[in-house]
Amino acid sequence: MSNSVNISVETTCENQIREIAYDGTELYQPPPTLSESLAKCAARIDFSKTSLDNIKKEEKSAAAAADDDNKDANQFQESLWPWDAVRNKLKDAYTEICVLTDVISIAKDKRYLVLDPLLEEPDDTKPIVQVYSRKKAISQAAQVLLGGAERIRNAHSEQRSRNVSDFHIELLRLRQNWRLKKVSNAIIGDLSYRTAGSKFGMSGTFEVTKAEDALDDENSGNNTGGSANSSSSSSNNGMQLKASSALRVIVPSELQGVAYIKVITQKDQEDLCTAQVNLMGHGQNLTAQVGVWQKTLEFAQNVLFCKELFAQLAREAIQLQAPIPHVVIGNQIRATLLPNIQLIISLCHSTSFDSSQPAPINDHDHVLEHSLHQLLREVHYKNSHHPFPHPASAPLGPSKKRMLAGPTAADRDALLDMTKTQTILEQIIAQAQHIFMRKRTQYVLDTLARDVKDPQIVSHWNAMNSPTMSCVKINIVTHGYDAIGRTSLVIHVKERSLKCICRDGRVMRLSYEPQELRDLILCQINSHQISCLVSLARCMAWTVLSNSNHLGIGKVEPLGNASSCLLASPNSDRMIAVQIRCDPQIDVKVYIARSPRQDFFPSPLVPEKFWENLGGNFKEVRFDKIEGKSFLNKMEFLMASLTSNTA
Amino acid sequence: MAISSARESLSHALTNRFLPNLEYLLQGSILDSAVEHLMHRLKGLCDNVDTSPEPFHDLEVCMSLRQSQSNQPLLLRVRRALGRDAPFQMRYLGQPEVDIRRPTLVRSCMDCACTNGILDFLSEMGFRLEFEYIAKGYMFRKGRMKITVSKLIKIVPGKQQDMANEPISQSYIVELSVVAPTGQENVGEEMRVFAEQLKPLVQLEKIDYKRLGNLP
Amino acid sequence: MGVTVLQPYPLPEGKSGAHIIDHLAKRLLSLGATHAGQFLVDCETFISTPQHGTPARAVHVLHNSEYPASTFSIIDNGNGKQVALVADSIFDLLMLKMTSTFTSKKQTKIESRGARFEYGDFVIKLGSVTMMEHFKGILIEIEYRPCVTLSYCWEMIREMLQGFLGINVAKEYPTYFTTQTIMNAMGQQQLHAKQNDIYEPMDTVKQYLEHFTNYRKHVQIHGAMGGGASSVGTVGGGGPGGVLLPSSVGMGGRS
Repeated sequence: MSNSVNISVETTCENQIREIAYDGTELYQPPPTLSESLAKCAARIDFSKTSLDNIKKEEKSAAAAADDDNKDANQFQESLWPWDAVRNKLKDAYTEICVLTDVISIAKDKRYLVLDPLLEEPDDTKPIVQVYSRKKAISQAAQVLLGGAERIRNAHSEQRSRNVSDFHIELLRLRQNWRLKKVSNAIIGDLSYRTAGSKFGMSGTFEVTKAEDALDDENSGNNTGGSANSSSSSSNNGMQLKASSALRVIVPSELQGVAYIKVITQKDQEDLCTAQVNLMGHGQNLTAQVGVWQKTLEFAQNVLFCKELFAQLAREAIQLQAPIPHVVIGNQIRATLLPNIQLIISLCHSTSFDSSQPAPINDHDHVLEHSLHQLLREVHYKNSHHPFPHPASAPLGPSKKRMLAGPTAADRDALLDMTKTQTILEQIIAQAQHIFMRKRTQYVLDTLARDVKDPQIVSHWNAMNSPTMSCVKINIVTHGYDAIGRTSLVIHVKERSLKCICRDGRVMRLSYEPQELRDLILCQINSHQISCLVSLARCMAWTVLSNSNHLGIGKVEPLGNASSCLLASPNSDRMIAVQIRCDPQIDVKVYIARSPRQDFFPSPLVPEKFWENLGGNFKEVRFDKIEGKSFLNKMEFLMASLTSNTA
Repeated sequence: MAISSARESLSHALTNRFLPNLEYLLQGSILDSAVEHLMHRLKGLCDNVDTSPEPFHDLEVCMSLRQSQSNQPLLLRVRRALGRDAPFQMRYLGQPEVDIRRPTLVRSCMDCACTNGILDFLSEMGFRLEFEYIAKGYMFRKGRMKITVSKLIKIVPGKQQDMANEPISQSYIVELSVVAPTGQENVGEEMRVFAEQLKPLVQLEKIDYKRLGNLP
Repeated sequence: MGVTVLQPYPLPEGKSGAHIIDHLAKRLLSLGATHAGQFLVDCETFISTPQHGTPARAVHVLHNSEYPASTFSIIDNGNGKQVALVADSIFDLLMLKMTSTFTSKKQTKIESRGARFEYGDFVIKLGSVTMMEHFKGILIEIEYRPCVTLSYCWEMIREMLQGFLGINVAKEYPTYFTTQTIMNAMGQQQLHAKQNDIYEPMDTVKQYLEHFTNYRKHVQIHGAMGGGASSVGTVGGGGPGGVLLPSSVGMGGRS
């Protein structure tokens, strides 16, 4: 810094010299202020110089510009207010604009003034040429109109004669039943269940076209594309609607054909069945009003539904942790219901329609198939029908139970239960198990009722039951002795177990093994016989010395055992002992004893007759030889005869 | 194995954006004479067209608490469904945010179901009654959107249940709202498209309360 | 849903809390109870800054892991009136909105946590109470699930407490359940036999709050009473000394 040399810099003279003094000093004109220069520049603008002709003039007057400039400067000096000139010019321009808008509004309104282009110069074409060309144009237009009229007339006459339905009427009917929308030139429909709550990814779009050449198609018989199946399926159905349909629906190839879910419950391996079910006969209740497309679409929708159902089941089968894992192979799911009993769910989708195929419906379980459909519909319904919150400000989404959980202080278990939902597969397995259990129980009860004639076993099945629980009431009575005694018990048939409720309030839980139920019923028969015998003995004035429902002899069963009873005649000189065993089948043994014996011979050991009152030897009665229809009947005879003997 | 406290699990839900705490809202109104048309359109547009629209009849009470640090009182709205055995709903609404770039009004929101002692509880806490009204109308849903068409009814003090209470105006208020966790920006667009479909009948807009003055 | 009784366990001299808990757990297990998870009950108190005229209000916010979806809160308006509220767990966030009026007293945050046992219809929870990480005592919660009225099952619960846990329990109902005078809707005073009421989850929470408050007071007084056995006994009302609670016991007998 200290070593630097000072250099003075002078600007060149930019301002005009106003005056040079005699001493040579130059007096500069002070530079115009910003506002002055702006006013000067603004004054120079010629507001009328925007149109083209003005520009031309401008060129002419270019030479005079310098003078103008000076003049302007003078004016600028002279005028009272620096912006006066600008204002005047702007005012003029404004007036012009106003006039222009008036003209435009008048011209635009067309009420007062119509603007027409001026003919520069009249055309000098010859009138004869003009006439000729007009004639030609008119005749062309006439031809177009005539052609159109002819087509309409043809179409009308054809319709009237052949009763071909109108495309638009058909489209209207289609629109009433299916979702359609127009995408540019095509009409696209949607047959998926998405609006009903389905979340299945597969698309269900179909296209609607006009069947232009319906006649040709029918004649030639070789159809192509998506409509092929619809037509062939209709002919298979014997519904010759084809001719009358002016509308055609094109369904994607993966939705063509017929599909259904086959459900088989199978016992052991060899029971495999390969049944093909032909559902073509279904759906005859279609109204004749709707065309063949209705059937096509319904089939396609059914295919879509079955595919969704199967996909859902397969996913669940893989996710579920079952003790015996579920197997998914191709179009088949295998699940084990009970030992040796399997549930097989398979998706059958056929696109070929060989009417030669026999349709034996062997083991196909329609009830379970229906339940499956119902379960998926339920899932759909739950997806789309959420409860509304109350009050209205509450959040949308949580279930009613969950909404209450906070304020009502729901405990951990209740909250856990809310999160649990049974999958479709679990539910269908439970239903299948129940059906099987019910059948098994029916079989056991029926065979027992057939085999055991005395007493009679009557079972009443509740007509109303849930898919996983049914109820049977069993009455055990002896014919002719109904008033004396009746043993009744109720059995709840569940999914894998039975629950028996006896009249005395005992509750027994049985497994799925049929033998357990058989044993239980046999034991109940035992105790029925004994208790009836006890009542009968009282009626006949016999004394019951003892009875037991569980003797504890023979095979010890958890549910019951041999039972017995000891009776004494009114004057106590005779006794009857009865023992009923139930394993393996009902076996009745009856013994009688009499004391004192009628023929008494004193001996050194038994000197007096009264010792005989201690009781004598029991002798077995050949019970099957005794007269009588039933056990009680025989016992009645026996007691009666023993009583009369003593009298 | 150690059990986590309720506070911990709540903050976990907040940080992981499980907790729906933002309300996206569009509002409009429609005259009584035209509400029938709107109902028909909503029936066509919304889910569960097969069932009739769900009616509601709620009493809303707004309570305010003076905050010592800010001059803005804390407002809590308590709603009760009349003629129904449902828990009371307490609702906190934050300051609405009217962003030009967003298609809807967005405000923070907390919904809490409580037992019916809540009004007593709040007054013991020092809350004072700000205003109350009855909202009566219908609600619809479309996906996660909730649409309410409600008539606001003035309350003559002490006569909550009375039929004598008069409507505030000759029109219905229409609200389209979604409560979602933070970070779901596509909600607004979804709502705008839906509002577009109701257009000539009702103009659903984001209404800035601050401009309307000190209205509720 | 059942009836729950909360019982403080007197700490004998010279034994640590962990030792006692361990001992009790072993006793339960050997008698056939099964271990069924953990539990936690915590309590946080928010106090309002007292303004002109109004006394300081306290809002106690409690959580019970048995009812994971709920937040329990009890307000004490300072004039003896209490209002209880059960709400969704989001209530905690609402409390945070009021921090300028209601400030949380962190140093009084108190909790009881420990193991949970099941034995038939009984649920037994051995909780060790801690405040600011300091061990305060042992609270035993015992629930009899099939019943909702204490008067029907108190004897059974008492038997369980005495037989299984070896606690000497008085024949009278615990203080929380004893007959008390309440104000009815008409503003009249009347006697109310609480032991005949239908039990609600809020009652469990209120019992916890009662005991927690006592533990807190105990800290403030800081009376170095030996082991806390006598003080705890007084507080819980379950101690053998029915004499300590003359009025309530008298009423309990009458009902």
